[in-house]
Amino acid sequence: MSADKIVVSGFRHYFQSESGPVQATGVIDVTIREGEVVTLVGPSGCGKTTLLKAIAGFINPSEGQILCDGHQVRGPGRERGVVFQELAILPWRTVRRNIAHGLEIARVPKPERDRTVDRLIGLMGLVGFEDRYPHELSGGMRQRVAVARTWAADPAVILMDEPFAAVDAMTRLTLQEELGRLCATTHKTVFFITHSVEEAVFLGDRVLVMTKRPGTIKAVLDVPRHGKGGRDWDSFTGDPEMRAISEQVMHLVHAERV
Amino acid sequence: MTVRALRDVRVLLPFAALIAIWWGLKAGFDISDKLLVAPPQVWSSFVILVTHGILAEYVSTSLRMIGIATLISFAIGVPLGFAVGTNRYAARALEGFLRYLQGISGIAWLPLAILWCGFTHTTTLVIVIYTLIVPIVFNTMTGVRAIPENYILALRSLGASRLRIVTDVYFPGALPSIVVGTRLGMGYGWRALIASEMLVRQGGLGDLIFGARTFNQIDRIMVGMVIIGTLYIVVDRLLVQPVESMTLARWGVLRK
Repeated sequence: MSADKIVVSGFRHYFQSESGPVQATGVIDVTIREGEVVTLVGPSGCGKTTLLKAIAGFINPSEGQILCDGHQVRGPGRERGVVFQELAILPWRTVRRNIAHGLEIARVPKPERDRTVDRLIGLMGLVGFEDRYPHELSGGMRQRVAVARTWAADPAVILMDEPFAAVDAMTRLTLQEELGRLCATTHKTVFFITHSVEEAVFLGDRVLVMTKRPGTIKAVLDVPRHGKGGRDWDSFTGDPEMRAISEQVMHLVHAERV
Repeated sequence: MTVRALRDVRVLLPFAALIAIWWGLKAGFDISDKLLVAPPQVWSSFVILVTHGILAEYVSTSLRMIGIATLISFAIGVPLGFAVGTNRYAARALEGFLRYLQGISGIAWLPLAILWCGFTHTTTLVIVIYTLIVPIVFNTMTGVRAIPENYILALRSLGASRLRIVTDVYFPGALPSIVVGTRLGMGYGWRALIASEMLVRQGGLGDLIFGARTFNQIDRIMVGMVIIGTLYIVVDRLLVQPVESMTLARWGVLRK
């Protein structure tokens, strides 16, 4: 059994509004183990992004605590990388310089930086686009750059907030497979938020299902990974076991329709 | 090439029409030289002012003043805009105030400035800087505030320091707005400069045309006006606009 990487215990969050505090989430306990991909699926507004932001250190939890490697999270840090849904890579930097940004900040020497960036450009299918600016890329390409930038900085944990929600359906399938391969080859600890049941089951080693607002964790399902991760859509759609899990998650989510 | 040449001609057409109407009115109604002079008289006055080095003297004073005022306004306005733009409460508090100040033109400050600083270059500088700095602060502030929060959050997660976020996100992100603000400010500042020079009378094109009025030198007044307009276009089109299109083309349009 792998070590616990992220431990969320007794977490609950309120937002201040003009009419007083609004409860964003219920009480949440989550443990993410080293090297696993945990996906979280829930209806919109259930508080899943709030949970991710708290783990990232962007907000302070109103109640409870969050540990990363046993240390309390007190703000953002480079051991916890974040991939956003959109608008995160910098328009005034080329693809190469965006991907290298985290390494630049960490003062990694140039030759090593170039090696890492080249490897990720290859892995993410960005060869030939190194010197383009984001506005010259499609939405899917931009998300590849965002993913590559986070991976290049080599954080211990990667938090992903619906990273493929804004790209078209066809591209999304490719990006999901690419991410699956990336997770399988790099053995990163990944926490992935989505509102797509299929995406959650396709990518997750474990799938967490959240209730509607104020959200709590309603169910946790293990997804068995055969072979080298088995994340390609051809084998996924033909696998009765996967279909059964998807249906089970779908039932749980449906009950939470807003 | 020919298409381009045609387009250039089209730009000059209204000017040609204006000169034709002016000349026609002067000749047709036989207007007295005390009210209006013909284009050739303006031209010969221009030649005299140039050959005697008089025009160069007045022009250099005005250009030096707008140059100094722009540099000072930029050096104060940009950091101020950053400070206000990165602080949500300060931004909200100051937005209305800055708009209000834009209502009180630089020229409206002239009486006070003359009482405080006398009829000096300092008075003119104060007026021009006041006029220039408000659009710079305002545009820097809005430029900073328009930067998507995710840019900053993503960088913090990559371990970026506060300084790093300023140099890598705030500055490049706000640069197109800063350039736009500076360009606007220089346009307003140029007008305020001429107005202030007319009252302060310490050199500059405003002084030239206001002084010429005392001796009814209509030709000289008109030379001054043509130069004021020409210099504005030259500085704006040849110096400021290229910088603006450069930053907008590379960065501004990219924002989506």
